[in-house]
Amino acid sequence: MTAPAGIALSGLCKTFASHGQKVEALRDVSLNCPAGSFTALIGPSGCGKSTILRAALGLEPLDSGRVEIGGQAPQAATRAGVTGVAFQDAALLPWRTVAQNIALPLEVLGRAVGPEQGRIRDLIALVGLQGRETALPGELSGGMRQRVAIARALVSAPQVLFLDEPFGALDQILRRQMNIELQRIWAETGVTTLLVTHGIDEAVFLADRVAIMQAGPGRIVEVVEIPFARPRAASLFSDPEFHHQCDHIAGVLHGG
Amino acid sequence: MAARLRAFFPYLIALILWEVAGQLDLVASGALPAPSEIWARFWLDRADYPRHVWATLQASGAGFVLGNAIAVLAGLLFVLLPATARVARGLNIAIFALPPIAIAPILALTLEGMTPRIVLAALGVYFVTMQATVTGLSQFDSRTADLVRAYGGTRASVLRFVQLRGALPAILSGFRVAAPNAVLGAILAEFGGGGRWGLGAYLLGSLGRGEPARLWGIGLTATLIAGLSYAVFAAISARVMGASRAVTLNPAAAPSATGAPGGLWLGLASLILPFLVWWGFLVALRVPDMLGKTPWDVFHYLFLADGAAQAQGRLLAALAETLPITGLGLAAGLSVAFALSVSSHLSPGFTRAFLPFALVTQTMPLVALTPLLVLILGRGTAVTLWITISVTFFPAYVMITQGLAQVPRAALELPRAYGASPWRELRLVAIPASVPWVFAAIRTTVPRALLGVMIAEWLATGRGLGNLLNQSRGYMDFSMIWTVAVVSVLLSVGFYQMAQGVERMVLRRMGGA
Repeated sequence: MTAPAGIALSGLCKTFASHGQKVEALRDVSLNCPAGSFTALIGPSGCGKSTILRAALGLEPLDSGRVEIGGQAPQAATRAGVTGVAFQDAALLPWRTVAQNIALPLEVLGRAVGPEQGRIRDLIALVGLQGRETALPGELSGGMRQRVAIARALVSAPQVLFLDEPFGALDQILRRQMNIELQRIWAETGVTTLLVTHGIDEAVFLADRVAIMQAGPGRIVEVVEIPFARPRAASLFSDPEFHHQCDHIAGVLHGG
Repeated sequence: MAARLRAFFPYLIALILWEVAGQLDLVASGALPAPSEIWARFWLDRADYPRHVWATLQASGAGFVLGNAIAVLAGLLFVLLPATARVARGLNIAIFALPPIAIAPILALTLEGMTPRIVLAALGVYFVTMQATVTGLSQFDSRTADLVRAYGGTRASVLRFVQLRGALPAILSGFRVAAPNAVLGAILAEFGGGGRWGLGAYLLGSLGRGEPARLWGIGLTATLIAGLSYAVFAAISARVMGASRAVTLNPAAAPSATGAPGGLWLGLASLILPFLVWWGFLVALRVPDMLGKTPWDVFHYLFLADGAAQAQGRLLAALAETLPITGLGLAAGLSVAFALSVSSHLSPGFTRAFLPFALVTQTMPLVALTPLLVLILGRGTAVTLWITISVTFFPAYVMITQGLAQVPRAALELPRAYGASPWRELRLVAIPASVPWVFAAIRTTVPRALLGVMIAEWLATGRGLGNLLNQSRGYMDFSMIWTVAVVSVLLSVGFYQMAQGVERMVLRRMGGA
């Protein structure tokens, strides 16, 4: 793997037209994620979190502003296979097996799947789905499908990982487990990660820095540095300092 | 096992009743032969069948392949370039609405050999599969498409990885519905176009001989072929669908192939295209002027030529007979469908027993069914009505039932939670909820109603447009043949558009789409 790339967002502005009215989705959003860092983007529903992520992937045209991924424009970066992505819904293709779904980004990027079989096997093991390689999505539980999506996001050996509420549909217990897994994966791969979430504890547990957004218009109001040492253990969830951080973020979210 | 046996009970009872009625000549003094008599006749005729069946299979098979190939390619084109869908809108609706019986004589005049049969079979297949392809390609999970694009995927990669495979179940179910249509189209062309072999030709040759058992034998053979072709594709699509049901679906907005015409120019192009195709068809095939009439020829014949007033008179007289009965038949068919949907909502058991019989009447090719109905019902208005009801009620029933089934459970249970009776619940929730579907049913069954009436007029009652078409064929009055064909297609399209207009208005008022 080459040296991980960082994410630089500067001055993103976006206005939607809906029912004849203009809705300002993003106003002057700037965020810098250094290479190898873990950044969480948190905010209420509809504040434009996902729009930022889609814009960073080149899926959403912007009115103004610049996105750079490792110094490249988003389209160039995605086409070069620099990025990996997992959405809120696993969005698996129902006719493809677990292994084939994980291989999809390789096929889209035009890379050979054959030589990567070993890597795909390792990723399936990494997310704890050994033995289910040939299962179809319909035969898996929601949590398993989400883990397939995480493995798929990593298959292209990305330097930058975008996660859009990847655990939003999971129950609290599974979510904690997946948070710990994700931290391990991040530590092992050193991939620059931008996590969109509305779970305050998830953001504080995982991130180096939490960017807090407010809606109407969507904007970043504060960036909080999270000082806890790594690796972070599950016991952190009950640490008073952890709760102090969470309370502060909740305060900012509620406009305090 | 026991449950499976019980499923056969209605068939067994019906068969026994049929046998008794036939043996005792209970229905229309022997017009309904007993199954054993039909079988005996079939056995006597067994040497005739293979060549007729083979000819029909060839024509419908070739038409099926051709029509579907064009339909899938057209569907792809319409999805990739939505502007083409808008331009082709008029042509698509015309193909959907054209009564095959009206253009069968024209095809027989202008094409040779097996071609008219293949073309009519292909026309019967095209719309269903094209629509299924468009729906299948449009209803993909937008998030999987995002995923492909998030890895730098282009429009082509989304098509390749997400849409094509995702459309497969829809396309296959299109094939399933289209397969009996191909058989119906081929038999209609055989019937209306001469030629020695084919079940339609066999039927035509046997009509005058007053042998109900043979007519039934041919009719049931045709039904069997149509039914088997449906079953084959039902089995294939069940296999393909089985494992890969979508887990979650976040459907992308589905543009319909016959959606609103966009822009004046595209709308105008869509109006002109069917006439261009008509004219191009004549030029490309070098059809002699005497046989092939251009749009201008038809206009001239009907409005400017010496006998125009007389031609108009005959046409209007025919219309005055055909239109009221079409409206009446349509209303009756929809009422039956609605009553059936409601009763199946209230007592599912009844419907389960009834549906298999309804299904058989649906796969039975109409031309084969009509002579049998004439034997039983005579040549009056009753037979026309009966045929019209039988071609309209089933599709309408399926649609309205679908509508009723889509009412959210919670909405249905709300009146029940306040102690409402099933009837009241139906009146408060289910009926209003199914209104859009009733209109959709009207829109899709109007052309079938006109087809049913015209077939009945041609074969049974000797009145109206169907008879005018048949007479003109006899007199080799080619201008009138073209005129009737054009007028019936225009009528069908007109009704379709009207129903759609009303549907949109009602939906808007109800706050729907």
